[in-house]
Amino acid sequence: MRAWLLDPNPRSRLQSRLGQAWLQALRFRRNHLAMLGLFITVTLLLAAIFAPLIAPHGPITQSLADRLQPPLTPGHLLGTDDFGRDILSRILYGSRITLYIVGLVILTAPVAGLIIGTVAGYFGGWVDAVLMRITDIFLAFPKLILALALVAVLGNGMENAVLAIALTSWPPYARVARAETLTVRNSDYIAAVRLQGAGATRIIWGHIMPMCLPSVIIRVTLDMAGIILTAAGLGFLGLGVQPPDPEWGVMISAGRKFLFEQWWVATMPGLAIFLVSLGFNLMGDGLRDVLDPKGAR
Amino acid sequence: MTLLSVQNLRVTFDTETGPVQAVRGVSFSLGRERLGIVGESGSGKTMTGRSVLRLIRPPGRIEADSMVFDGQDLIGLPEPQMRALRGRRIAMVMQDPKFSLNPVMKVGFQLTEGLRQRDGLSAKDARVKALAALQAVQIRDPERVFHAWPHELSGGMGQRVMIAMMLIPEPDLLIADEPTSALDVTVQAEVLSILDNLVKTRGMGLIFISHDLRLVSRFCDRVLVMYKGRIVEELPARDLMQAQHPYTQGLLNCLPRIGGPRTPLPALDRSQAWAQE
Amino acid sequence: MIEIDTLSVTFNAAGRLVRAVENVSLTVGAQESFGLVGESGSGKSTILRAICGLAPISGGAIRIDGKPVAPQTRAFARQVQMVFQDPYASLHPRHTIDRVLSEPLTIHGLKTTEGRIEQALTDVGLPTSFRFRFPHQLSGGQRQRVAIARALMLEPRILLLDEPTSALDASVQAETLNLLTRLRETRGLTFLMVSHDLAVIDHMCDRILVMQHGKAVEALSREALAQGAMTTDYARTLFTASADRLMG
Repeated sequence: MRAWLLDPNPRSRLQSRLGQAWLQALRFRRNHLAMLGLFITVTLLLAAIFAPLIAPHGPITQSLADRLQPPLTPGHLLGTDDFGRDILSRILYGSRITLYIVGLVILTAPVAGLIIGTVAGYFGGWVDAVLMRITDIFLAFPKLILALALVAVLGNGMENAVLAIALTSWPPYARVARAETLTVRNSDYIAAVRLQGAGATRIIWGHIMPMCLPSVIIRVTLDMAGIILTAAGLGFLGLGVQPPDPEWGVMISAGRKFLFEQWWVATMPGLAIFLVSLGFNLMGDGLRDVLDPKGAR
Repeated sequence: MTLLSVQNLRVTFDTETGPVQAVRGVSFSLGRERLGIVGESGSGKTMTGRSVLRLIRPPGRIEADSMVFDGQDLIGLPEPQMRALRGRRIAMVMQDPKFSLNPVMKVGFQLTEGLRQRDGLSAKDARVKALAALQAVQIRDPERVFHAWPHELSGGMGQRVMIAMMLIPEPDLLIADEPTSALDVTVQAEVLSILDNLVKTRGMGLIFISHDLRLVSRFCDRVLVMYKGRIVEELPARDLMQAQHPYTQGLLNCLPRIGGPRTPLPALDRSQAWAQE
Repeated sequence: MIEIDTLSVTFNAAGRLVRAVENVSLTVGAQESFGLVGESGSGKSTILRAICGLAPISGGAIRIDGKPVAPQTRAFARQVQMVFQDPYASLHPRHTIDRVLSEPLTIHGLKTTEGRIEQALTDVGLPTSFRFRFPHQLSGGQRQRVAIARALMLEPRILLLDEPTSALDASVQAETLNLLTRLRETRGLTFLMVSHDLAVIDHMCDRILVMQHGKAVEALSREALAQGAMTTDYARTLFTASADRLMG
């Protein structure tokens, strides 16, 4: 298998692409911090998938007799909240919501940003001016404020929160993609394909986007922490996911009342947000070293 | 007198697919003379030059039995002492002045920086010295160049500034890595004669790295020909036309000549035997 | 075949007008090999780029077969192709050689038959096992061969060569020049070649135009160049600077 992947003379496009991916994976593995980030991310994924199996209690099972138990209480490893719900179980189930929000946002915002950025960068002129001014308008508002306004218009709920976050997070991707396009646009290999008579769609889709993709992917992994925080912020303000759903931001918000006496209620979901954000950031840094086209030999 | 003596130099890069040796057991010595290192890309000539200054970044590493410069073994030298040697006693001129000059600092500032910081000269004294250095590389209007930004200089002018900068601390050894390859042919000759003059009058040692065999033979005393990380032939420059090694002969013959025949150019037969240790 | 009539190219660089080419005229006959020689900034490459619509034409006309050119159309692509100077920049870093070579066929709606790519690789002297490699797995000379193969995929009659060997080692340059000569002979191509190297131009071209600062300085035949029979000072300077490349 190893020999097949590292074959200097691959026999198909697929083999050649997999071989390159394998080399990148080898390079990624050398970066210990990035591997830690990957480990955290994989743990989050597993926790979300197997939450019903590993969680000791139901996420919304109340038990008023056991309310506000401190961490390390038998049966409640991370303690309980003011309704006697097990915090560990809520965090595990909450990872599903977190992943769902992050997943939906990264499937929409970067794609939109990539298309807008490459089109603006490739055509230049008034297309660029119009698209980039729209981008500027979105960038001019603080992300959370804009998301708040959108949720206020659209109404509460997880789907609207996702929509609001996606609508506020595409502009940076458009900027990154445009900057990358501007450096690629005048390169000889783009000139060569233009001389072959290729149309704009083919050039943007087949030749420019693959060059912008790495920087956008890196930007996405670095932004994932921000997306989680925005989602948590909306939840914290009561505008995103609604109680009793175990969203981490909502949990912090609920624990605010007991911050001084029962610190764990707010701290545990806060730690979860911190850990996951850190994981995504470390992974993003590692990916940058591997994917950056300028660093490629 | 031997200025630099290198024994069994090796440069190895650890890559994902295993170690790659860029320089494999190179030995040479150098007095106060002009030594040319010639080879094609990938022959290890640049790596050899950089190794003398220990300027190889990880994952590359340098090994050698010894690398003695003026009585000091550079291989075992601690980094702070190495830093004191770089620039002051061993200087290097790179291929393209565009990438060697800092684009956001004026030429004069970059020229005098070392003098002010390292030698503690006053701004005025440093300026006098820098202007003299610019004059030494035959810049007609040193005042203007002193106050210019790097992007305002032409390629030939930029390379002269680089040479001036390297020569200010009066090093004993100058390593020039393709110093004229980015320049036009008419400018090339001027820069070379400046370099030649300086080396002669100041009695420096010079390592001149180039891919151009004819250029090197015209300009150096002795030539090392490298192929795949090894020295395949060492000969006095004036005997170049009588080179014995087929690789050297191939390099000489494969260039087209003005007025030459239209027959296919002789191709180089890259025999693997040359690369064997 | 190619007629360039008082061509001027003016770039607008930060509000300043830069005349890269001024009133240059030349004609290249069918199956002829014409050389443009000059130092950096002489505008020789700009002429090639202007033919391809990659530089803004501010005056004059370019005709091919008597008709004004319509660059970057499919018809033009089948007529004229270009080989760029730097083989490290002219191949898409994330496309396999297979993709690079089949792209022109796809654009023109031609079938990529199994043997076609392999034939193209063989024609430029590359092993067929290179087909699915990425550009960074090839050496500079091999990349330039791929670039030449790509330019020939659409079987054009005119090849514009922009310093095709100046980024290559001397021995690789010899191989590449030999390949270009062979392809020109077997396919009856017309070359318009740009180089700063008089010896390379002399080896490849029948007629030569010396350029400086965007202007045509002197037109020379190959014989006149070999004998050093130039009339302008600049052409002579250039000739003397290349003295070590004279025959004999």
